[in-house]
Amino acid sequence: MDMNEIKEIFFQECEEQLAELESGLLKLNDGDRDPETVNAVFRAVHSIKGGAGAFGLDDLVSFAHVFETTLDCVRSNKLDPNQDVLKVMLKSADVLADLTNAARDGGGVDEARSKQLIRELEALANGEMPAASEAPAAKPAPALVATPVADDEGFQPIPFSFDDFGGEEKPVEPFAPTCEILFHPKRELYAKGNEATLLLRDLSRIGEMSIRCDMDSLPPLEDMNPEEAYFSWKISIATEKGEDGVRTVFEFAEWDCDLEVRTVEEDHEAEAGKDELPMQPVPFDLSILDDGDDDATGEADEPAAPLSSANTAAESNVVPIAAASRAEPSRSEARAAPAVQQAAAAANPAASAASAAAAAPTIRVDLDRVDRLINLVGELVINQAMLSQSVIENDNTGVSSINMGLEELQQLTREIQDSVMAIRAQPVKPVFQRMSRIVREIADVTGKSVRLITEGENTEVDKTVIDKLAEPLTHMIRNAVDHGLEAPEKREALGKNPEGTVRLTAKHRSGRIVIELADDGGGINREKVRQKAIDNDLIAADANLSDEEIDNLIFHAGFSTADKISDISGRGVGMDVVKRSIQALGGRITISSKPGQGSVFTMSLPLTLAVLDGMVVTVAGQTLVVPLTAIVETLQPEASAIHSFGASQRLISIRNSFCPLVDVGRILNFRSTQADPVDGVALLVESEGGGQRALMVDAIQGQRQVVIKSLEANYTHVPGIAAATILGDGRVALILDVDAVVAASRGQSLKQEISLAATG
Amino acid sequence: MASKKAAQKSLSLAPVLDLNEATALRDKLMALKGSDLAIDASAVERVGALCAQVLMAAAKTWEADKRSYTFAKASEPFLKTMQLIGVNIEHLLAKEIQR
Amino acid sequence: MKKKVLTVDDSRTIRNMLLVTLNNAGFETIQAEDGVEGLEVLEEANPDVIVTDINMPRLDGFGFIEGVRRNEKYRAIPILVLTTESDAEKKNRARQAGATGWIVKPFDPTKLIDAIERVTA
Repeated sequence: MDMNEIKEIFFQECEEQLAELESGLLKLNDGDRDPETVNAVFRAVHSIKGGAGAFGLDDLVSFAHVFETTLDCVRSNKLDPNQDVLKVMLKSADVLADLTNAARDGGGVDEARSKQLIRELEALANGEMPAASEAPAAKPAPALVATPVADDEGFQPIPFSFDDFGGEEKPVEPFAPTCEILFHPKRELYAKGNEATLLLRDLSRIGEMSIRCDMDSLPPLEDMNPEEAYFSWKISIATEKGEDGVRTVFEFAEWDCDLEVRTVEEDHEAEAGKDELPMQPVPFDLSILDDGDDDATGEADEPAAPLSSANTAAESNVVPIAAASRAEPSRSEARAAPAVQQAAAAANPAASAASAAAAAPTIRVDLDRVDRLINLVGELVINQAMLSQSVIENDNTGVSSINMGLEELQQLTREIQDSVMAIRAQPVKPVFQRMSRIVREIADVTGKSVRLITEGENTEVDKTVIDKLAEPLTHMIRNAVDHGLEAPEKREALGKNPEGTVRLTAKHRSGRIVIELADDGGGINREKVRQKAIDNDLIAADANLSDEEIDNLIFHAGFSTADKISDISGRGVGMDVVKRSIQALGGRITISSKPGQGSVFTMSLPLTLAVLDGMVVTVAGQTLVVPLTAIVETLQPEASAIHSFGASQRLISIRNSFCPLVDVGRILNFRSTQADPVDGVALLVESEGGGQRALMVDAIQGQRQVVIKSLEANYTHVPGIAAATILGDGRVALILDVDAVVAASRGQSLKQEISLAATG
Repeated sequence: MASKKAAQKSLSLAPVLDLNEATALRDKLMALKGSDLAIDASAVERVGALCAQVLMAAAKTWEADKRSYTFAKASEPFLKTMQLIGVNIEHLLAKEIQR
Repeated sequence: MKKKVLTVDDSRTIRNMLLVTLNNAGFETIQAEDGVEGLEVLEEANPDVIVTDINMPRLDGFGFIEGVRRNEKYRAIPILVLTTESDAEKKNRARQAGATGWIVKPFDPTKLIDAIERVTA
C-alpha cells in the first residue's frame, strides 16, 4: 500500500461520502429532522475534509471547512435547515463534488460559483438568511469577480507525507537552561490513562534531571484510596529545550495536574533552591523502561522503511478483528445443542443478524478480477455445452449416469454463471443520485421548481449497464424538466402544483430491469410534434398517424419541439441518440403521454451485458445470432406477400401493412445475389426509427442464451456485427448488430415508410 | 514472641502494576498487614505511580506496626522506575540486592 | 513484543494511513470502523493504546472513550483522539470523556508515533 493507493481509496471514499451527503441533504429537504441525518451529513463533509487535508488538497479542504462550519450550526440547532438553507447546501454539495473531481482528475472548477457559495455558507453560519427570491433566477457571478475568500480561521492543513518520518535535526543549542518544575498530578490524570512515571520518563529524555518525590500526603495503607494521587514531584532539569520543551512533555496532562515551570537563572540559585531534602539525580539509561523495544522509540528519529517493503508487513499485521468477531456468534451457535437450546439458538442468530445489519460484511475487489472470473465462467459455459453435445453425439447408448451427471453439471454451471453475474450487479442508486443534481441545475437555469422522486434505487443491474445508463438518463431528465414541465406560473394557472414532479423508478421485471421516467408536465403536444414533422419533411402533410406514432416521432434524429433551442436540451442531441444508446445496451424505450398530465418514458434493459438471449439463425451457410430483444415476431413469407419496389427493394405485407425486406446475406456480403424470400424466414425487427423491418434469413436453428465475446477486443470491429459467441458445438457465431444492418439497408426514406404504414 | 517469626509472609508482584492493579495490590497488602513481609518484585515489567504509592503507603504502615517490610527480589525495570520517580527504596531492599 | 494499537475511525482513507504509518513504525495494528465496533473488539484486541476519531456513526469518539473508561478491565488503556483541528472545545470534551491525549489531523507520522510513545510504556 502506498500513498497513491491510499489516495485512490480516498477518492472512492469521497464518492461514497458525497452520495451520503446528498441523500442526507435531500432527506432534510423533505423535512427529516432526525439528528442522525444531520450527523451523517456533517460526518460526510468532515471526512472529506480530513482526507483532503492529509493529501494537501487545499481547495477542497477550505471549501469543506466552510461547509462543515455551517453544517455544525445546523447540528447544534443554531441554524434551521429550511428549504432556502438547503438550497445553498445542495449547491455546495455539488461544488464539493466538482472540487473532488478536480482534485482527482485535474481540471478546473467554477471558481466564481464556489466563492459565491463560500460567501453564502458563511452568511448562513453568521445567522444571515439567504434571500429566498434571489435563488432561482440568479445567474452565476461572472468569473472575474474575485472577492477574497474569508479567512478560514487559521485552519492550516499540514500535508501528510511519509517522508516526514525523517526527524528534522534541529541545530543543537549549546546553552541548556535549568528549569525547576513542580508537578502535582490529580486523580483524573491517572483515570484518563496518563501516567506520572511515563511523563517523568519523557522529561528525563530531554535533559539531565534531578528529582524529589514528595510523599508527605501519603496516608497509611488502610486509609488510602489506591486510585487517588498522593505523590507530587519537584524536578530540576537542565534542558536546551527550555520551559516550552518541559511544557510540551506535560501537554496531555496539563489539565489534570498542578504544574509550575520556571527557569532558574543561576546555578547558585538552583543550589539555594534545594531545600531540606536532597534530590536524586536521574542519570541512567532508561531504555529498559521502554518495554525492551528500542526500535519503537527510535522510529521517530529514523527514516521510515521504504514503503514498498512495508507493503507486505502492512497487510500481514492487520488482525482481522471484524471477521473474527462476526464469526463468534455462529461458533457459539454451533456449540449450542439445537434441540435443547432452541431459545438460545433463536436469540443468537437474532443478535448476529442485528450486528450484520449494522455492518454488512463486504469486500472490495478490483473489477478486473471479477471480469476475468466472468470470462472464465463464460468459457466454462461454452465448454460444458460442447461436452454435452459431444457426449450426445458419440454415446448413443445413453448411459443414464453420464447424462445425469451432465445435467447436474449444466445446472451447476448455470448457477455459477448467475452468481458471478450477481457480483457485477450494482444498485442503480449512484446514477439516480446523480440525477438529482441534474434536476437541480436545470431547475435553476430554467427557473422551474422541480421535485425529483426516486424509487427502487436499490434495484441491481450489471455495472456496465449502470455506467452507460447515466448519459441517456441525464438527457431524458433534462428534456423532462426543460420541455416536459411547464413554467410555475403556467402550472399554477392550470391548477397544478407550481412545483413539478419528475419520478424516476427502477424495478425488475421478467429478467430485465425497467426504468421509468415520468413527469407531470403538459405531455407531448401532438399538434406541435406533427407540425414539426411535416415542416421537417419527416411525414407527409396529410399523413394519418395514431397518437402513439406521433409520440414516437420525437425519437427521430434532429427532432426538437421546444420553441427555441435552449441551453439545456438543444445541444444537437435528441431523443434519437437516447434511443440509440438504450438499444446499444440491448434495451428498448417507449413513451406514453397524456396531454396535460405528463409523459412516461419506459426503458427496459437486460440485467447483464455478458450474456444474451439470442435466436440462432443460418444465413448463406453462416451461423448468426440475432438478439431476441430486437425481434418482434418471426414469419414464413408467402410469395403473394412479397412485393417488389423500385430497382431492388422488396416489401412484405404483414396484416395489411408493408414492411421493407432486408436481406441479411446481401448486406453482410455473404452472397452476391438476392435470396428468394419464400425459401427463408423473415424476422420482424423494431428498427431505430421506430418502424419495422423484416430481416431475411435462411433458417432458424433455435433460441439460446449465449456468452458475448467482444470482437473488438479479440479481432477488430466488423460493420453489422455486434459481437461474437461460441456455440455448444465449438463453432464461432457472430451476433448481428440489427440497427447497423437496418441502417445499411436504408434505401427508402422514413417519410415513405411511415406513409406506407399509414396508408397500408 | 515465637509467633512473630512465623508471621514472615511473602508477596509476589504482578508484571504490570498499573491503574487496574492498584486496588488489587492494596487489598493484597491489607490482607498481609501485621506480618513481616518480603516482597518479590522480580517479575515486574511496568510500575505506575499509583502502585508505587500503594507500596510506599504500606511501607509506612509496616513501619508504624514495627514489622519488617523488604523487597527481597526486584527486577531492573522496577528499580529503575522507582529511581526515576525519585522514590527511594534503597533502605527497603534486602541486603543481597542492595547496591 | 510489538505494541498493539487499536485504531477506531470510520474513514477508510484515514484507516489506511494509520495502518501504514503504524506498521512502518513496528506496531501491530487492529482496526475498528466506529465506536461500537471499537468496544466490541476491545476484548479480543487487548491493545496497549487506542487511537480514535471523534466523528463516527453509531457511537462517536466521546461515547467510545467513556465506554472504555467504564470497562473494568480496559479502563487503564491510554486513548489518543484524532481531532481535525486544534479545536479547543472538542479537545475539552474528549478530555472530559477520558482521553489521554490527542493528535491533530491531518496527522503527520512523526507526531502520531511520538504521541503513542508518550502515553505507552
